[in-house]
Amino acid sequence: MNEKASGNAPILEMENVSVDFPVKGIAAFFKRQKISAVSDVSLRIEKGQTFGIVGESGCGKSTLANAMIGMVKPTAGRVTFKGKNLYELDRKSFKKTRRDMQMIFQDPFSSLNPRFSVYELISEPLLIRGDATEEEMKVRVEELLELVGLAKDDINRHPSDFSGGQQQRIAIARSIILNPDFLVCDEPVSALDVSVHAQILNLLTEIQGKLGLTYVFISHNLAVVKNICDRMVVMYLGKVMESGLSKTIFQNPRHPYTLALLSAVLDTDVEKEKEQIILEGDIPSPIDPPKGCRFWQRCPYAMEGCKNVPAPEVEIDPDHYVACHHVNGFPKTDLPEGYDRPVKSEEKEKANMPHPLKAEENVEDKTDA
Amino acid sequence: MNRENTNENMLAVRNLKVVFPMARGFIRAVEGVDLDIKKGESVALVGESGCGKSVTSKSLMKLLETPPALMRVDGLTLDGQSLKDYSEKKMQDIRGRHMSMIFQDAMTSLNPVMTCGRQIDEMYMRHQGMDKKKARKHTIRALELVGVPEPRSRAKNFPHELSGGMRQRVLLAMAFACMPKLIIADEPTTALDVTIQAQVLEVLRDMQKTHGVSLLLITHDLSVVSNIADTVYVMYSGKIVEKAPMKDLFRKPYHPYSEGLLKSVPKLSDEGKKFVQIPGSVPHPMKKPPGCYFHPRCPYATEKCQETMPPLEKLGKDRLVRCFHPLDNASKEAKTS
Repeated sequence: MNEKASGNAPILEMENVSVDFPVKGIAAFFKRQKISAVSDVSLRIEKGQTFGIVGESGCGKSTLANAMIGMVKPTAGRVTFKGKNLYELDRKSFKKTRRDMQMIFQDPFSSLNPRFSVYELISEPLLIRGDATEEEMKVRVEELLELVGLAKDDINRHPSDFSGGQQQRIAIARSIILNPDFLVCDEPVSALDVSVHAQILNLLTEIQGKLGLTYVFISHNLAVVKNICDRMVVMYLGKVMESGLSKTIFQNPRHPYTLALLSAVLDTDVEKEKEQIILEGDIPSPIDPPKGCRFWQRCPYAMEGCKNVPAPEVEIDPDHYVACHHVNGFPKTDLPEGYDRPVKSEEKEKANMPHPLKAEENVEDKTDA
Repeated sequence: MNRENTNENMLAVRNLKVVFPMARGFIRAVEGVDLDIKKGESVALVGESGCGKSVTSKSLMKLLETPPALMRVDGLTLDGQSLKDYSEKKMQDIRGRHMSMIFQDAMTSLNPVMTCGRQIDEMYMRHQGMDKKKARKHTIRALELVGVPEPRSRAKNFPHELSGGMRQRVLLAMAFACMPKLIIADEPTTALDVTIQAQVLEVLRDMQKTHGVSLLLITHDLSVVSNIADTVYVMYSGKIVEKAPMKDLFRKPYHPYSEGLLKSVPKLSDEGKKFVQIPGSVPHPMKKPPGCYFHPRCPYATEKCQETMPPLEKLGKDRLVRCFHPLDNASKEAKTS
């Protein structure tokens, strides 16, 4: 899989894409606050590959995927799909391009209309495109039902008659009926039972083999990503921390955040004693993210310089990019004094407080001690 | 905590049955479950959604609404005290004080219009008769124990002002507030991110070990179990299919379902692309197959499995398995000889 993919033309390219959302409220307006969901991300997805996006909730992985398929307009940067800039197309050609990119969502039960039958659900995209006859549609739906492993008799049943795994199969059938080239799977198995995870993942790989699809696979489970993805990016608070071939990243993870994520994956292996890196605190708010490295508040190796100097992505091995001062060393520009001192843990804790707006209120609470 | 009579059971459940009457028949959610939890032990109840594990946990606390549910149990003892015939009023003294529960979603199980501190204060005021000031002191200590930074000001926050991991810690603090004998944790980390999950599990394990509290952990995720449990019960479609010490189960599962579950957890050490899968899906609770409930999905099923439900039998040391064809041949021979 890896060898076959390399050297292919990119199907989708993103250059310095940023997505910001406005914060509601007058105060936020005057302070010019914004939520920086994705910040300065560049990536290249080659045809036939599976591209993984990994990160915790709130790190911008879904926003990034939405920006890829034209559901969220980036505030800056370019998204090029098959050589065309997605956000410069006129309405008609955008709609046409959009047919080639589809999405599978996390929770199949809420993404399928409960009043539709399986036939209506799966054929709806064809109906909207409007160039197929009833006969053709029926044939096509039956074909797809077989492909995703459902019975032909299921065609008139409703989503509530199916188990979670089967519902996800319907959702998959629905997303591939227009023969897309590019499929975004947003946590396709995390709402399902453990014993059906493998079924859906195997089905996805099988379909990819048959139809030559390109996948973008969003997940927080690193063990799944390892098995299914060719390339991956690790995101934290809207920035890419590490990217490259997934093989290389798993063999030789360099960024402290990747290391922590890997060690947080629980295993069923009882023989081997694993050392866990437990990160302190929570993912900070994407409103006013840190100026420097976005990970410094939780990083066990954080240095004074990390707070202010942004960490660029540097290619440390061929095709393996890491954005970390600890790995790459600080850039040779004018650095603040004492930049290489480790940050004190109290300072990290302070920066980690969940609500910066509430900080002032906490001063006067000696009364009830 | 005195550890002299550790062999005695903290919680013993005998033949628990829960049925939900429906318009077109019955849903037998729990079918004769026996559970034993020793003092200071942590036990995990593992199963997929719809296998009856949450119903089991709720009926242990008598939190199940009856009606609609119908519950029957032959024996329910907590630390030698039989709770079987306790009224709701008496149960209210037990809950929180002698056994408490941690729910999956911290946002929905905390009261959104009360500060977190106030909700923990209530525990002390209700069960230990403290006044407000004293209760708040204890609350702050309890929050400190579960690793909430700046507990004094956090106690004044409302649940929505805290992050998911912090809310789960507040729930932990609440559960441990009166130092109960038994804690039931129903999927405590499912709604959390991996790095936060690691934090919360560490706190839970530390608290459980240092205070010698018995723990019943309910989860669908076997990898969580490996970190925390001593004994594991595997449940399928309302019945216990296997009970074993955690390490033994992970080394050598006896029931085909346990084996399938273990194999389907993707591992970082795996190479290659194929995921191991269990075919089919969990049976609908109103249309359970005859014989062994697992036989339609079982690779080892025979005709016997289609007709009769296998009994839960002892197999080897401390292990029980409900299967005609347990996977361990060595002990099978030992049993027959």
